[in-house]
Amino acid sequence: MPELSVILAGFADVFTLTNLMYIVLGVAVGQLAGAIPGLSILMALAIAIPLTFTLDTLTAVAFLISVNKGGTVGGAIPAILLNTPGTPESAATALDGHPMARKGYGGKAMKYSLYYSVFGDISSDIVLITVSAPLALVALKMGPIEVTFLMMLAFTVIVGLVGESMIKGLISVALGFLLASVGIDPAMGSARFTFGSVEMLDGLPLTALTIGMLAVSEIFIRLSERGAQSGQDVVGAALTFRDKGSQRLTLRELLANRYVAFRAFLIGTVIGAIPGLGSTTAGFLSYSITKQSAKDPEKLGTGDPRGIAASEAANSSVVGANMIPLLTLGIPGNIAAALLVSAFIIHGVQPGPLLFQQQGQLIYGLFGAMLIANFCNLAVGQFGMRLWARVVSAPASVVYPGALLMCATGMYFATGGTLGIVIMIVASVFGYAMRVFGYSIIAFIVAFVLTPMLERSINQTILLTNGEWSELLNHPIALALFALSIVSILYLGPRRRAKGDRRDPPDRGAAPARDEA
Amino acid sequence: MTRHLTMTAALCSAAMGATAVAAAECPEGYPSEPIEFVVGYAAGGGTDAIARRLASEIEQQQDWTIVVSNRPGAGGDVLMTALTDEEPDGYFLGVSSTNAVTIDPAANEGVDYTWEDFDYPATAMEVIFGLVALESAPYDDLEEFIDYARENGRATISTSAIHLENVVRQIGEHYGVTLIPVPGGGASDALQSALGGHVDATIQGSQHIQQIQAGNMVQLATLTNKRVPYAPDAKTLTEYGLDVVAGAHVLFALPKGVDPAIRTCLQQAIDEGMQSEGYAALMKNFNNEALNLGPEGAVAFIKKGAEYYDALYSE
Repeated sequence: MPELSVILAGFADVFTLTNLMYIVLGVAVGQLAGAIPGLSILMALAIAIPLTFTLDTLTAVAFLISVNKGGTVGGAIPAILLNTPGTPESAATALDGHPMARKGYGGKAMKYSLYYSVFGDISSDIVLITVSAPLALVALKMGPIEVTFLMMLAFTVIVGLVGESMIKGLISVALGFLLASVGIDPAMGSARFTFGSVEMLDGLPLTALTIGMLAVSEIFIRLSERGAQSGQDVVGAALTFRDKGSQRLTLRELLANRYVAFRAFLIGTVIGAIPGLGSTTAGFLSYSITKQSAKDPEKLGTGDPRGIAASEAANSSVVGANMIPLLTLGIPGNIAAALLVSAFIIHGVQPGPLLFQQQGQLIYGLFGAMLIANFCNLAVGQFGMRLWARVVSAPASVVYPGALLMCATGMYFATGGTLGIVIMIVASVFGYAMRVFGYSIIAFIVAFVLTPMLERSINQTILLTNGEWSELLNHPIALALFALSIVSILYLGPRRRAKGDRRDPPDRGAAPARDEA
Repeated sequence: MTRHLTMTAALCSAAMGATAVAAAECPEGYPSEPIEFVVGYAAGGGTDAIARRLASEIEQQQDWTIVVSNRPGAGGDVLMTALTDEEPDGYFLGVSSTNAVTIDPAANEGVDYTWEDFDYPATAMEVIFGLVALESAPYDDLEEFIDYARENGRATISTSAIHLENVVRQIGEHYGVTLIPVPGGGASDALQSALGGHVDATIQGSQHIQQIQAGNMVQLATLTNKRVPYAPDAKTLTEYGLDVVAGAHVLFALPKGVDPAIRTCLQQAIDEGMQSEGYAALMKNFNNEALNLGPEGAVAFIKKGAEYYDALYSE
């Protein structure tokens, strides 16, 4: 740890007008990119990096971090208001945020999401600033073998997301496995299911798939409902709000979910500190664990604030925690962090074990910027909420086509061509069919996200152990994770069936029947 | 009137001549519209930074307009495929890697082009790979590492690209020991496996440099033909007596059939851009140096690599 004077000087560096302006700007850009379905945080970061070439190093990095932080907050807004997650990370927020909004508490749901998100952000930043070095060393112990078993545990936990029928849920998961295997086989290096297309060698793009299946198919569902009802409804607002008073959120209501939020923060921080897992995984894992361990699991999915807390606090905690392996070891935890690495390098700062020694002042400046960005997130978010509430009060005939156009434009930019749009549209039809027939899209997406990591680490495990099972005995963490998976299957599976099947929550799978009101 | 305009033009170019280093020799009327640099990788990465920095240097030196965009996918193959459909008018340059034309046509299904479908006006930087291991490991150079592998029956090396897996096997074959490449999800993933002690060594392009400086890792061998400043004691594969190509170059490519005069003009412009101070500063940040093989050098390097991989994959 550097001397106190370096730390203070670093924090002091942030307080220039330029830096503060760029932090506010970054948060605003991030929230906007996150809130517009189809524009992802990664895209916003990738576009922003070349723009920061001419900036001062601290300003540049503070700006980029702010974009990242703003994005995780912004993504929840369309997830709540329109059930169309702006980013894959916020998909779990829609599960409870949107039902709450349909009951007329859209403003309240957005407040829940903003506060828990900022809570997760601040807490994980504090972990980063105080205990990053020892935590990073622990994370290093998570080798390929441990990650394999962690993935297995994750699969047993997400069973809570499969929807009303276990068989249909498992079919969704199997489809996720299948589609995730498109691309280059990590073990052999040969192409799988690419049908001779060079573009398909990278596999199906996650953003196009999630936005298609979650956001665009939701738009189709809404439009078909409206068409089926009286013609007048098409020009009605996409969402109505109750009076101002019922949108108010008291501190007491917020604190009621403190345990859920704290657990979500722990999950997000651990997932974030282990390179390669990412915020989508954290959000779903936390949501699923919350649902499994709740006394009344059937309530989650009907507009329960615990669902919002579980998802938002977890996915935001990842942003700070992701910086732990990055700043201490030079290893980026996910693609967003990898983009930050390239920004660092372009500015002549090499992330790695010497970073704190060589660039202590810069790093503490960065920490200061991160903390300030959290509060900016709160402020910009307050303002943004009102704006977005206005936007969805527009006639549905404007909101949904507008969202569709943004999705398509975003996909074009993300993939640099029309392939992204084609995949998005195919995925949306697929997603529409899954919803109509009651197959869980969430289970599908989680399987799609986790499979490449599982496959790669299984391959690495086989190579490292030379195929000898007894080698696993030398990996106590892996064995512990395996034991947890067994517990999770034996304990959570039957419990869920006994409790949940009688009156299953209206999961995403059963979307069309959901809002009779 | 005409005369007046000519005068102004002459004055303008004289003024520009004073600021520009030296204008490349270009055919009259070229470029009459913006030139596109299309990067085969996502924005924000190393190749992207090189393309953008060079573009801005060339813009200043030659007074051209250059638009940089990205066409990522399949390790540069998506861009190269797109390049084969472009008009060879000299306004569309791909910025990619030599791997996209040496290995990928042989290794990747669906890649329809070969290295002979393009012209290469320049290369911009060599990616130099090193074989590195934890400092605490019981070996400090390649020979000790091989002894270790021989005693244990095998050794594992984490890698981040298919051609590096092949390099691992080649080294193993050369010494007659079993070296097992463990493919990671990227250079960071591979480095993490090595730092955590899950593998015996790793092959890295740049992320290991600071680990060496911090004393956490040692470079067992440099996988090219000259030593690197950050690990001056690590011998090269050539010094160890191996004829193995592990390096790759950042590559400029044009569709075949561009007017030779325009090609010459672009070659000179890129080369001048690479000699700028701004480019040198970027290279310093990458712990590397500018290296332009030139059109002939690029073709020689690519031809050798492509022939090797064609033979390897046709087996």
